[in-house]
Amino acid sequence: MKKKISVLLVVAMLAMMLASAALADNQMTIAWWGNQTRNERTQAALDLYSEQNAGVTFDPQMNAWSDYWAALATASAGGSLPDVIQMDYQYLSQYVDNNLLVDLTPYMENGTLDMSKVNEGIVGSGSKDGGVYAVCLGVNAPALLYNKTLLDANGITIKDNMTMDEFFAVSKEVYEKTGYKTNIGYGTDNVFNYVLRGLGHSLFTDGQLSATLEDAEYFFGLYEKGIKEGWHVSSAIFAEVTVGSVEQDPMIYGSDPANMSWCAFFWSNQLTAMQNAAPEGVEIGITTWPSADPAASNYLKPSQFFSVSAQGSQQEEAVKVVNFFLNSVECNNILLAERGIPAASDVAEAVAPKLDANNQKVISFINDVVSPNSSAVPAADPTASAEVYALVDEIIESLCYGTISASDAAAYFMDEATAIMNR
Amino acid sequence: MSQTQRGTRPKRRLTIGQWLNQEHVAGVVCTSPFIIGFLLFLVVPMILSGYYSFCDYDILSAPEWVGLKNFINIFTSDAKFVKSIGVTFYFALVSVPLRLIFALIVAMILLRNTKLTGLYRSAYYLPSIIGGSVAVAILWKRMFAIDGTINVLLQSIGIDSHFAWLGNTKTAIWTLIVLAVWQFGSSMLIFLSSLKQIPETLYEAARVDGASSPRQFFSITLPLLTPTIFFNLVMQMINGFLAFTQCYIITQGKPMNSTLFYTVYMYQQAFEFKHTGYASALAWVMLLIVGAFTGVLFLTKRFWVYDEGA
Repeated sequence: MKKKISVLLVVAMLAMMLASAALADNQMTIAWWGNQTRNERTQAALDLYSEQNAGVTFDPQMNAWSDYWAALATASAGGSLPDVIQMDYQYLSQYVDNNLLVDLTPYMENGTLDMSKVNEGIVGSGSKDGGVYAVCLGVNAPALLYNKTLLDANGITIKDNMTMDEFFAVSKEVYEKTGYKTNIGYGTDNVFNYVLRGLGHSLFTDGQLSATLEDAEYFFGLYEKGIKEGWHVSSAIFAEVTVGSVEQDPMIYGSDPANMSWCAFFWSNQLTAMQNAAPEGVEIGITTWPSADPAASNYLKPSQFFSVSAQGSQQEEAVKVVNFFLNSVECNNILLAERGIPAASDVAEAVAPKLDANNQKVISFINDVVSPNSSAVPAADPTASAEVYALVDEIIESLCYGTISASDAAAYFMDEATAIMNR
Repeated sequence: MSQTQRGTRPKRRLTIGQWLNQEHVAGVVCTSPFIIGFLLFLVVPMILSGYYSFCDYDILSAPEWVGLKNFINIFTSDAKFVKSIGVTFYFALVSVPLRLIFALIVAMILLRNTKLTGLYRSAYYLPSIIGGSVAVAILWKRMFAIDGTINVLLQSIGIDSHFAWLGNTKTAIWTLIVLAVWQFGSSMLIFLSSLKQIPETLYEAARVDGASSPRQFFSITLPLLTPTIFFNLVMQMINGFLAFTQCYIITQGKPMNSTLFYTVYMYQQAFEFKHTGYASALAWVMLLIVGAFTGVLFLTKRFWVYDEGA
C-alpha cells in the first residue's frame, strides 16, 4: 500500500511540474536591462497597464547590461524569447536577420501601433529592409557625468565640448586639488570609437576593423599619460566593480578619493539613475565626452527600443503594450524620460513640465549642446566587436597596471583584434 | 509477472492499484524524476554540444558544419586557452591539497568526543553548503575590496593596509583559493568517518612499543587513511577543474586574465562573444583533460594507496 501511495505521489509531482510550466505561459514576459530607477518605474507602468487591461499580467525580467544579452540569446535558442524585448541599436540587425522579431508594419497599418507622432528618422532607426522591427523609447547621447559638487567646491568649472587637452588639464587639476582621480571610461565600449571619430577615423567600417596602429597608439596613450601623471585611477578598482553598473561606478561608489573618479563616461539618460544612486548632497553634472574634434565625435542615438518577439504567442497584446509605452502620457508620467526623451513628440511635450531638474538638464543637453554640434550616429558594430572590446578592457588593465607601454599595447591590440575579426 | 505464474492464481487483468503496486513499476516511476532530468539536462545537452563543437554556431542563427576548425583554432591560435588552462591547474593543484590538509586537521581535532562535538561538526560543515553560493561570492568580493573587511581588520591591528587584493595579479587568485579551502566540510566528514574506523588496538600496540604521537600519525593514521585521501583527491580535483561560480561572480577573470578559469572562459566564448560552437569544443577538450588527469591519478594509486587486501 505504501508503495502505491509513493508512486502516486511521484506521478502527481511530475504532473504538477508540467502544469505549472504550462500555466506560466499565460503571463506576458517583458525583459529589459537597466538600473534600480528604471526597474521601479517600469514596474509601476506595467502595474498601471494591468489595472487598465484586466487579465493581462506581466512577468518582468530585469538584468544588468552585461548579463542581459547572454540571457536573451539563450532564451532565443530555447524558443522562449520574452514577448516584449528591450532592444539596442547594436543588436537589432542580428535579431532581425535571424527572424526573431515581429515586423510591426501591419500593426501600424491597422492602428494598434501609432507611430504618427514619431520623427521619421527615429522610426527609420528601428527599421531594416523595409520593415519596422523596433520602437524607439527615447533619444540619448554620450554624456560625461561628473561630480559637480566636488568641482564647484574647488572652483573648477567644466565647459561643454571639451577637447582632449582641456580634459587632461581638468583631470590633473582635480587630482592636485582634491585627490580624486579620473577613469577614462574603462568598460564603456563606445569610448574608443568616439575618440577615433575625433581624429576623423573609426574603429570599424563595413564590419571590418578600420583603426590603424597610430589610432590605437593615440587611444592607449591617453591612459598611459594619465597613469604617468598620476591622475588616472589604478586598475585595482576595475576588479571590484560590475562594469557598466551605474550604482557601482567609481564616481559614486567607494570611500577613498584615491580610488574614485570625478567623472564617468555614460549616456545622457543615465543622469537620473546616477543622481539617485549618488550619496546625499552630491550633485551630478552633465557634459560631452572629450574629443579632439567634438562635433565629429558626438552623436544622438536611439537609447533603446522595444521589440516584439516572433516566438511569442501574444504578439497582438505585446504590440499594445509597446504602444502604451510609446503613446500613453499616463505611462510616461511614471517613466519620466528615464529611458531618454520620449520619441513621440506630443508625449514629450506633455511630460516636459513634469520632469524634474535632472531631466530638464538632460533635455537642454540634448537640444542645446549635442544636437547643434554633432555628426551621424556610427553604424552598429560587427558581432565580433564584443571580443574586441574585451581585449580593449584587458589592455587597459595592463596599461594601468604598468606592465605594458602604449606603443606595445597598440601593436598587441592590432595583432589580436585582426585575429579576432578573421576568426 | 503474475499473469504468467502457472496455477497459483486465475488469469485476470490487474486493477490499476495492483499494477502500481508491482515492484518494477514502483521502481521505474520513483526513479523517473532523476532519469528524465538526467536525459533532458545532461545526455541531450552533451550530444548537442558534441555536435556544436564541429560547427560555427552563435545561438541566434542555425549551426553551420565546419569540421575540425574549432579544435584546430583552440590548439594553434588561442592564447587565452593556454592562459586559462594554466590558471585552472594552478587553482586546482594548490587549493585541493590545501583543502584536504585543512579538512584532515579539523577532522582529527573533532574526533574527540565532547558534549559540543555535534555542534562543532555542523558549524564546520556549514561553509561547504553555503560557500558555493552567489551570496557568499558577493560577500567575498566585498571583504577583499580596497575598503573591505580584510583591510579594515588589518588597519585595526595597526597595519595601514589599502591593498587591492582583487586588483593585484598575484593575490586575486588567492582570494579564490582561500574561498575554496574554506569549503572543507565534505572532505572533513569523510575523513571523520574513516578515522573512526581505524582500530584502537593499533594505537594501543604502538603506545606499548613507545611510539610518539607524530610517529603514530605517520605510521598508523596516515597509511590507513590513504584510500580516503585518494577518493577525496579525485573528487575534489574534478570539482576544482570545473569551478565556475566563485570566479564568475568575484573576479570575472580579472585582472588581466590572471584568474580566468577555464569554465569562465568557456562561458565568455559561448554567451558573451557568441562563439557557442567554439565554446562547445572547449568543453570537450576539458572533458579529455579531466579524464586524462583522473586516469593518471589512478595509475599512481598502487604506489601510495594502502590496499587492505595486499
